[in-house]
Amino acid sequence: MSHSYRIKTALSRRKVLQHGVAGLGLLLLSPFAWASGAWQQLDAAQQVLNGATPITQGLTLDLPHVSEDGSAVPLGIQFNGDLADGDYLTDIHLFAAGNPQPEIATFRLNELSRYPDIATRVRLNETQHVVAIAKSHQGQTFAVSQEVRITVSGCLMRGEDNQPEPLTNPRVSVNQQVAAGDALEVRTLINHPMETGLREDSNGERLPRHIIEQFTVRLGDEVAFEAELHQSISANPYLRFHLTPHQSGELVFEWQDDQDKQARHTSELSVS
Amino acid sequence: MSQPWNRLSRRQLLKGLGGASALPLLGAMPSLAIGGQHAGHVVVVGGGFGGATAAKYLKRANPAIKVTLVEPAEVFYTCPFSNLFLGGLRDMRSIAHNYDELRQRYDVDVIHALAEDIDADTHKVRLSTGDTLHYDRLVLSPGVDMRWDALDGYDEATAEKAPHAWKAGHQTTLLKQQLEAMEDGGTFIMVAPDNPYRCPPGPYERAGMVAHYFKEHKPSSKVLILDAKDNFSKQGLFTAGWQHLYGDRIEWVGLSNDGRVTRVDADNLEVETEFGTRHRADVLNVIPPQKAGWIADRAGVTDSSGWVPVKPDTFESQQVNDIYVVGDATVAAPMPKSGFCANAQAKVVAAAIASSLEQQPAPTAYWANTCYSLVGPNYGISVAGVYRVTDGAIAEVAGAGGISPADAPDTVRALEAEYAVGWYNAICQDTWGTQV
Ligand SMILES: Cc1cc2nc3c(=O)[nH]c(=O)nc-3n(C[C@H](O)[C@H](O)[C@H](O)COP(=O)(O)OP(=O)(O)OC[C@H]3O[C@@H](n4cnc5c(N)ncnc54)[C@H](O)[C@@H]3O)c2cc1C
Repeated sequence: MSHSYRIKTALSRRKVLQHGVAGLGLLLLSPFAWASGAWQQLDAAQQVLNGATPITQGLTLDLPHVSEDGSAVPLGIQFNGDLADGDYLTDIHLFAAGNPQPEIATFRLNELSRYPDIATRVRLNETQHVVAIAKSHQGQTFAVSQEVRITVSGCLMRGEDNQPEPLTNPRVSVNQQVAAGDALEVRTLINHPMETGLREDSNGERLPRHIIEQFTVRLGDEVAFEAELHQSISANPYLRFHLTPHQSGELVFEWQDDQDKQARHTSELSVS
Repeated sequence: MSQPWNRLSRRQLLKGLGGASALPLLGAMPSLAIGGQHAGHVVVVGGGFGGATAAKYLKRANPAIKVTLVEPAEVFYTCPFSNLFLGGLRDMRSIAHNYDELRQRYDVDVIHALAEDIDADTHKVRLSTGDTLHYDRLVLSPGVDMRWDALDGYDEATAEKAPHAWKAGHQTTLLKQQLEAMEDGGTFIMVAPDNPYRCPPGPYERAGMVAHYFKEHKPSSKVLILDAKDNFSKQGLFTAGWQHLYGDRIEWVGLSNDGRVTRVDADNLEVETEFGTRHRADVLNVIPPQKAGWIADRAGVTDSSGWVPVKPDTFESQQVNDIYVVGDATVAAPMPKSGFCANAQAKVVAAAIASSLEQQPAPTAYWANTCYSLVGPNYGISVAGVYRVTDGAIAEVAGAGGISPADAPDTVRALEAEYAVGWYNAICQDTWGTQV
């Protein structure tokens, strides 16, 4: 399935502020520019922000208000805010503010993946805020947070842990034909336990951390999309994202885990 | 209709409770029926587990409350035990219930019609008969509706070819007929949805019941479950039970093994998963994603999730005053969407409404639930929970409830299968007054 992709031409925020009434604009915009968010109390998010005050409109998180299974909460992130002509998002950071290790993932976007509509599944230990922070090529920052209530129902009691074999069954679903400039939806799934390093086995021994750390998509020789994954990504990582290719070529998908093992998948892409 | 029970005055009832507690209450009953006037009008929409229970317990709380129940069906078929019908263990008559007791014994005005619209500002319900009812308090228990736009190729029309059978009645008999018409050696495919949906263990009970029917009548046939999630209710117990009773007749494919179906081709009984695997069925049972019954949208009580957020103490809508919602339509997690919970929530709502009509605070709420599932005719498993409000949200009481043991002998499973029947008879008696 491909969505047509149009580059935003709306007035950017920066341009609004450049107009004569900058003072008034600032006054009007301040309620949301200074709105508080869960990122303010989160060190990991503050490090990414590095002193910048993020714009709190444009970035949207798609999460259930209530989830009955914290081990795999579906998460979507989109951007429909205003950017200057030619600007695009380069980094999206996701955090689970209440997890022992809040980092979920960082997505690196570029000219080949400049349609920010990404979905994955995340682990949430308890009721908490999920935070997303995005940066644009020209240095704008955006932030959003949403609370998710986790209720583990007794009726949903799970079975024994069937740990998957790491890096098995890489799956990719992508149209093989796309028109140049259109956004191409890509879905990927791979089996991996994504062992957090925080769990104990039945003998009380701590299970060592074992996760996929890096996922890279190349089109020909060029990197088109990258994801750095952390412990708060669910077992069997799932990623849905978009590419905006202009040339045909071989798509190469590569997953690499923290034991330096890889899995690969390739498919031919024809751009018309 | 004046039954002996109704003639008991409230004063007499309260005396039974003991003088000390009755006295302070007696001072605060301005709305008691005097000379034919009622103590407020409550309209209940939906005569399933939640609605029928609410109507009855409102009358039990205060017979002077006028209660009108709006439900289109004259005969209600329960989803609980409809899987047993599919397995050949029961007929449809044994899961049918009517509204005689509510009418005759409890003096509930039962109207067989659809509620078509609700105006919360003027407190009015418009019925399919053209009549309009005015309410002081409204109870909605409309159950679920299918999200017909959620699965490519699956809508109301194609559900006649690939039934969901997730509302009991016509859909259930349709699926049964298809199973009976299927030739031996065929594959029954069930498409199971992601949470939240009505009856978390229901799909897996159904898989066992269909496997039982196959074992008896079509021994070379198979059951394949394609699931949009990686974990399911009582998973370990179900999996062990399936293996024990049916060998490898039942196969389950979860989300992480490409179990999520994204497209249905009902004409060819074919489904396609997210990563492009196609499966062909001989009988196709698609249980689609769900949402609160549509009348909840009309009342303005649903949120963007499609379900109804409620105040945990009373189950009054968080969005609209004087509308109380119970059962599957609500967001009540960690309570599951079960008939047992709908019945328990309805009792809390009845008490809360009876109190509010007398300008009294609602009594403290707590609930219990047990989900029994049959894996085979003499093989029952269960999970139970107790719930109360903690820090403004419903929470499971730690240490209460529990789940059937993993390594129990067949005698324990057989006993639980008997308890399941006992539970069914008791809850139907409590809800519709049906005697077995
Ligand atoms: C296969 C299966 C097995 C199950 N097994 C169990 C079990 O073993 N134990 C258990 O506890 N639960 C079980 N359940 C779950 C149980 O059926 C539901 O949780 C329960 O029915 C919820 O009650 P309710 O009142 O919310 O909805 P329902 O019981 O579905 O009642 C809703 C009623 O509202 C009426 N209605 C809807 N809209 C309108 C309108 N606009 N106007 C008037 N009337 C309207 C409908 O006609 C219907 O009669 C099972 C479910 C399934 C599908």
